[in-house]
Amino acid sequence: MLEALHLTKRYASLPAVQDLSFTLRPGQVLGCLGPNGSGKSTTVKMLTGLLEPTRGVVQLYGQDIRHDLPGFRKRLGYVPEEAHLYPYLTGWEYLEMIATLRGMPRTKLAITIDSLLELFSMHPHRFASIGSYSKGMRQRILLIAALMDNPDIFIFDEPLSGLDVTSALIFKNLVHELGRSGKLVFYCSHVLEVVEKVCTDVLILRKGTVIAQDSVINIRKILGQSLENTFLHLVDDVDTARVASDIVSVMSAA
Amino acid sequence: MTSPFEVFRQWWDYYRERQFWRLFRIFVARIFRGGGDSDSEGLDLGVGLVLTLLALPGGFVSVLMFVKYSTLLSWMRGARNINPAAVAMPDEYFFIALSMAVTGTVAVWRWDALFPDRRDYMNLVPQPISTWTIFFANLFAVLFLASLISIDVNAASSVLFPLGVGAAQTSFLFFVKFALVHVLIVGLASIFAFLAVLSLLGFLLVVLPPRVFRRISQYARVLVVMYFVTMLSTSFAIPERLQRLSLDAQAWLTLLPSCWFLGMWQSLHGGSSPSLVVLGRLALPGLAVMFAAAFSVYALGYRRHFLRIPEMADIPSNRREGKASPFLGWFDRLILRTPFQRGCFHFVWRTLFRSEAHRLALAAIAGLGLVLGLQFLAAAQNSARGSAPSADALAIPFVLVFFIVVGVRLVFEIPVDVRSNWIFRLTLDAGQHECRALARNVILTFIVPWLVLIALPLYTYFYGWIVASLHTLLVAAWSVLLTQAVLIRFRKLPFTCPLPVFQQHSIVTLLGTLFGFFLFALLTPQIESWALSEPLRMIFFLPAAVVFWYVPHRIEESSIEVEKGLIFEEVPTRAVEVLRLGD
Repeated sequence: MLEALHLTKRYASLPAVQDLSFTLRPGQVLGCLGPNGSGKSTTVKMLTGLLEPTRGVVQLYGQDIRHDLPGFRKRLGYVPEEAHLYPYLTGWEYLEMIATLRGMPRTKLAITIDSLLELFSMHPHRFASIGSYSKGMRQRILLIAALMDNPDIFIFDEPLSGLDVTSALIFKNLVHELGRSGKLVFYCSHVLEVVEKVCTDVLILRKGTVIAQDSVINIRKILGQSLENTFLHLVDDVDTARVASDIVSVMSAA
Repeated sequence: MTSPFEVFRQWWDYYRERQFWRLFRIFVARIFRGGGDSDSEGLDLGVGLVLTLLALPGGFVSVLMFVKYSTLLSWMRGARNINPAAVAMPDEYFFIALSMAVTGTVAVWRWDALFPDRRDYMNLVPQPISTWTIFFANLFAVLFLASLISIDVNAASSVLFPLGVGAAQTSFLFFVKFALVHVLIVGLASIFAFLAVLSLLGFLLVVLPPRVFRRISQYARVLVVMYFVTMLSTSFAIPERLQRLSLDAQAWLTLLPSCWFLGMWQSLHGGSSPSLVVLGRLALPGLAVMFAAAFSVYALGYRRHFLRIPEMADIPSNRREGKASPFLGWFDRLILRTPFQRGCFHFVWRTLFRSEAHRLALAAIAGLGLVLGLQFLAAAQNSARGSAPSADALAIPFVLVFFIVVGVRLVFEIPVDVRSNWIFRLTLDAGQHECRALARNVILTFIVPWLVLIALPLYTYFYGWIVASLHTLLVAAWSVLLTQAVLIRFRKLPFTCPLPVFQQHSIVTLLGTLFGFFLFALLTPQIESWALSEPLRMIFFLPAAVVFWYVPHRIEESSIEVEKGLIFEEVPTRAVEVLRLGD
C-alpha cells in the first residue's frame, strides 16, 4: 500500500502542491487528472522520491520511502512525462544499462529485454541509436524500461504520449492486467477517456489541491455525467464550444 | 520629409522580414545552438560566451608577445637596426596556425549543423518556400559564420600584435601596413580552414552512403581536430625550418596551407626567402580552388542529403549486435564487481566515444599529448646512447599518461543532456560511494592496455626486459596515483551534472596542473633515468609513492558522510544558510 500523507511542496514559498493525501492499494489503478499547473508533475516527482516534500511523507506499507529510497525504487517502475533518453545509446544498450543498474540477473536480462522489445515491435530497431527514434519509439523504450524488472508499483506520467493506436491499445490492456495482478498503478494523464477506461479510481487536482477523489463509477454516479464533463465542471468552468467558435472567428478575420 | 535614416530603417524592416532573411536567422541560430537529428547534448554555452572564448587565445598571446618586442629589452639584448618583419615571422606563422586551428575546430564542432537537418526539413519544406531559398539561406548563414569567426578569432591580434611589433618604429605607416597585411593573411587563412572542413564534410556526404557517412564522419572529425592541434603545436618549429632549409629538401611543406599564407605574408612585406616565395604563390589559387570545391560539394551534398531526408527517415537500422567478447565478460566479472560499476562503466565509455562534444574535447587533449610525446621521441633520438635510457625516452609514456588522466577527468565535467539524468537519480543509491572507483577504472582502461601491449614490448626491445619492466611498473603505479589525485572528492557520475561554475580555486587547480605536469612528466623521468643506471636505486621511488598514495587517501577519509554522497548538481557552499523556517 502506497500512501501520500499531507504532501506539500513549495518553491520559494509558492505552493505547488498543498496537503495532498491519498492511498493506493494493491490492484488499484489510480488516475490523476488536472489542468496544466495543477501540481500533477510535482506529485509524481514526490511519489518517486525525485523531489523531497516540504512537508508530509510518502509511505510504502507504513514505512517512509525516504528511509530506504534504493529499496523503494527497486520496487518502482516509472515512465516520466518527457522521454529524455541518451540519444547516442542504442535502444538495447539503454535497456541493458537500466537492467544492470537495477541488479537484474545477467542470465535473465537479455531474454527479458529481447522479449519485451519483440512485444513492443521494437526488435528491428534495437541496435539503432535512440537519437534516430521517433517519439513513439522512445516512449516504448521508456515503457519497457519500467516493466522489465517486474516492479510492484508503477507510476505512469502521460504514458501514451506519441504511441500509435496499436501500441496504445496494448498498453491500456496492459494497465488492466497490472491492476488485476495486484500491482499498484498511479496513472497521470490529460486524456480523460483513457483514464475513464483504465483507472478504477480517480484523483482530480486543481491549483495543487485535491478537489475530488473517488472511484470512477462513484464520481459518475454522483455527478451523473461522463468523466470529461465532470472534469470540466470541477476544474475549469469553461464554455469550450464558445471558445472553439471564437477561434474560428479569429481565423476568419485573419 | 522622411529622413534617409528613416527610409533605411523602413527598407531594413521590410527586407529583414522576408522569407530569405527569416530563414537566414533560423540557420544562424541553428549553427550556433547545434543541430543534427539527435537531442541537444547539454553544452549550450551561448553565442556571447563562445565568441569571447574564441577571441581569448589571440588576445592573450598578443599581450604575452609585448615582452618580446619591448624596445627596452631589445636595447638591452644589443639588438639594434633589426628587420621587424623578419623578427615577427615566427609569430606571424603562429597567428596563422592559431586562426586556422580555431576556425577549423569550430567548423568541426558545428559539423552536424552546417547542413539543414531533418528538423529543418520537417518544419520548412511543408511551408510555401522553394528549396532554392532554403539552399541559399543556409549557404549564406554558413559563410556569415565563417566570416564572423574569422573576425572574432583575429580581432585582438590584429590590433595588439602590430602594436607590439611596431613599438620600436617611428613611422605610423609601418603600423598601418603591418596591421592590414596581418588582417588580410590571418583572415584568408581562417576562411581557408573553414572552407576546407566544409569541403571535407560535403565530399563525405556526396561519396558515402548515409549510414557509412555517419560512422566515418566521427573518425574524420577526430582526425581533423588532431591535425589542427598538431599544426598549432608545431608552429614554433616550422618557420625556422623554412628559413634554414631549401624547399627541395622538404617538399612536404608545400602540403601545409599554413605555410602558403606565411609565404604570402612575406611576399607582401617584400621578403626574399626563396622557399617562402614559392609557397606564397600557392595561397590565392589554393583559396580559390577551396572555395570552388566547398561550393560544389555543398550543392551536391545538399541535393543528396537534404532533399532525400524523407526517404531516409523510415529505413530501419540494419546494424547488427556486436559479438560479446569473452574478454569483456571477464572484465565485467573481475573489475566491475557491482551493478553500479557495470551499468555506469559502459555508459561512461559509450558517452566518451559517441558524444560529439566529449569525443572532440578528448581528441584535442590527446592530440596535444601526442604532439608533446613525439617531441620527446625526437629529442630521445638525438640524445646520446648510454647504459640507461635517456630522460627524454622515458618521458614519452609519462607525458601520454598525464594528458590522458587530466583530459579524461576534464571531459567528465562536460554534461550530456542533463535532463536525461533522471534515470540515474531514480536508480542509483546516493549512499553508495562508487563514483571514484568507477572514474578510476574508466581512466585506467585508457592507459593499461597500451602500456602493457605497446610500451612494454618496445622498451624491452630497445633497453632489455629489466629496464622495460621497471619502467612499465613505475608508469603504471604513477598513473594510479595521479588518477587518485585528480579524483579527490569526486562524487558525481560523469556527464550527468551541469557544467560547474567558475570557482575561486579554479586558478589554483590550473597552476596545480602545470606543477603536476612538471613533477609527473618532466622530473620523474629525470630521476628515473638516473635510477635506472643502477636499478636498485628504483627503490627510492617507494617512499614517494607511499606519500602520494597517503595524501589523497587521508583527504578522502577525513570527509564527512554528507560530502561523500552521489550528487547531480554542484551547489557552491554559501556563506550564509537560510533555514526557511517560515515555509
